[in-house]
Amino acid sequence: MWHGRGKTAIVGIGYSEITRKPEKPLGLLALDACRAAIEDAGLDARRIDGLATYPESPFAGAGNRDGEDVVSVSFVLNHLGAAADVRWYAQIETGMIASPVIEAVNALLVGACDYALVWRALHRPILRGGSAASKGAPRASGDAQFIAPYGAASIVQTHAFAWRRYMHRYGATREALAALALNSRRNANLNPRAFFHFTPMSREDYFNARMIAEPLCLFDCDVPVDGCVALIVTTADRARDLRNQPAYIAGYGQNTARRRTLLYYTLDDYMACGGSLAQKLWSSAGLGPEEMDAAQLYDGFNPSTLYWLEAAGFCGEGEGADFVAGGRIALDGELPINTFGGSLSEGRMHGMGHIAEAVRQVTDRAERRQIAGASAVCAIDGSPMLRGSGIVVTRDP
Amino acid sequence: MSGEVETTRKPVPAADELTRPFWDAARAGRLVIQRCSACGYYNHPPRNFCDACLARELAFTPVSGRGAVFSFTVMHQRDVAGFENDAPFINIVVEIAEQPMLMMVANLPIGERERVRIGAPVEVCFEDRGDGVAIPQFRII
Ligand SMILES: [Zn+2]
Repeated sequence: MWHGRGKTAIVGIGYSEITRKPEKPLGLLALDACRAAIEDAGLDARRIDGLATYPESPFAGAGNRDGEDVVSVSFVLNHLGAAADVRWYAQIETGMIASPVIEAVNALLVGACDYALVWRALHRPILRGGSAASKGAPRASGDAQFIAPYGAASIVQTHAFAWRRYMHRYGATREALAALALNSRRNANLNPRAFFHFTPMSREDYFNARMIAEPLCLFDCDVPVDGCVALIVTTADRARDLRNQPAYIAGYGQNTARRRTLLYYTLDDYMACGGSLAQKLWSSAGLGPEEMDAAQLYDGFNPSTLYWLEAAGFCGEGEGADFVAGGRIALDGELPINTFGGSLSEGRMHGMGHIAEAVRQVTDRAERRQIAGASAVCAIDGSPMLRGSGIVVTRDP
Repeated sequence: MSGEVETTRKPVPAADELTRPFWDAARAGRLVIQRCSACGYYNHPPRNFCDACLARELAFTPVSGRGAVFSFTVMHQRDVAGFENDAPFINIVVEIAEQPMLMMVANLPIGERERVRIGAPVEVCFEDRGDGVAIPQFRII
């Protein structure tokens, strides 16, 4: 078991508005979330002496203007009013959103800071239409020259290729994705922060939705939104003096397996790559999948949740479709999944919603979604085919 | 959605020093893939050093042009640059016969929608994109 187990905790959660019609620039939404997290923890902003984020745009070409498209450490440093002498900061672009949390944990354990603020701000880029002014064909350079001329440069296509392959290999159908999407929507209907809080979804709604990249439909894709979620992480000793019940960080893991193809990441790597995260996650926490009271598993594209179920050991390879059938993943089921609505129904917060909900569940703050007495919950983000990061939080240190 | 939307032209490959032999061969109706002289590994997209062994001696080598459909999708979203009015269109990933997981992307005519399946054998063909540009495509055999 890891020597850092239970020695740090998440003690504050802050949400900005999550919206498709933002009334302010992303940087101001991010400050809303950061201030809300600090207030939730019962701290003064001047106590924040560590800053970390996963700053990148959701896809290439989406822009990188600080405070509008992305929110960097320096933006928050300049505008939050944190400690005059911030002692530590990091911008992490490996793993995914648990990765800056993991770095904050490491920084806290060695005393590099005392109160770390971690945020993820996401802007919904408005796609530009065709440019009548440009003469001639656009030129695709770098590796894109081998995919863009075929119209195949969108990440949704990569996930469609993978899911098609999964269906072919294991005989799964769209029923499995419907079960996940409907479960997430039911949970979002109980989550006042969710983009789809007031919008129910029926089985017919799911199957009638328009296709995006077959076999993935609209409801298999997360909701692109503007918004920010922030967390406060501190040492267990300091956590006990704060107002909230701490969610202790029991363990963490990140994908480290090597990819096998230069062109695309493929389904074929999901067990090895996701397993490389799971092995570290469970061994550091000293807990296994059977001890989780709920699992928050990333769903930027719906099938990723199914892959994580298998790669993290909640069920065997190829068994995910059977696992999610029949109510097992519902709030009152054997393993509640994405109890806040996931990215599919809360909104695209790149895994921050997953961590925030894990914290809420082990600290009795999950509103009408509360799983009674939940003592250990994992939050895993990214894609087991490529990269990802995850943590386990517990009620007791 | 219905009706024409404003469309861009389909992107063309910007051949560079590294990739020019691939595109020159395509224009001549030949498929070549960069192969490591040290370990024999095929690298695609091309690299300045071998992804398997880091050797810097790599040579574009003719390949059979045969392969199999590794996966496919029918793309409906009308936000793909140059393909705004082509949706729905088919993308396939081809696993090239010479090496496991050696992949290329291609299109199939939408008429192949009912015929395309994982494992379907394919062979290379070439699509003229004008302005002296040809790109490898694959057809089901
Ligand atoms: Zn080599």
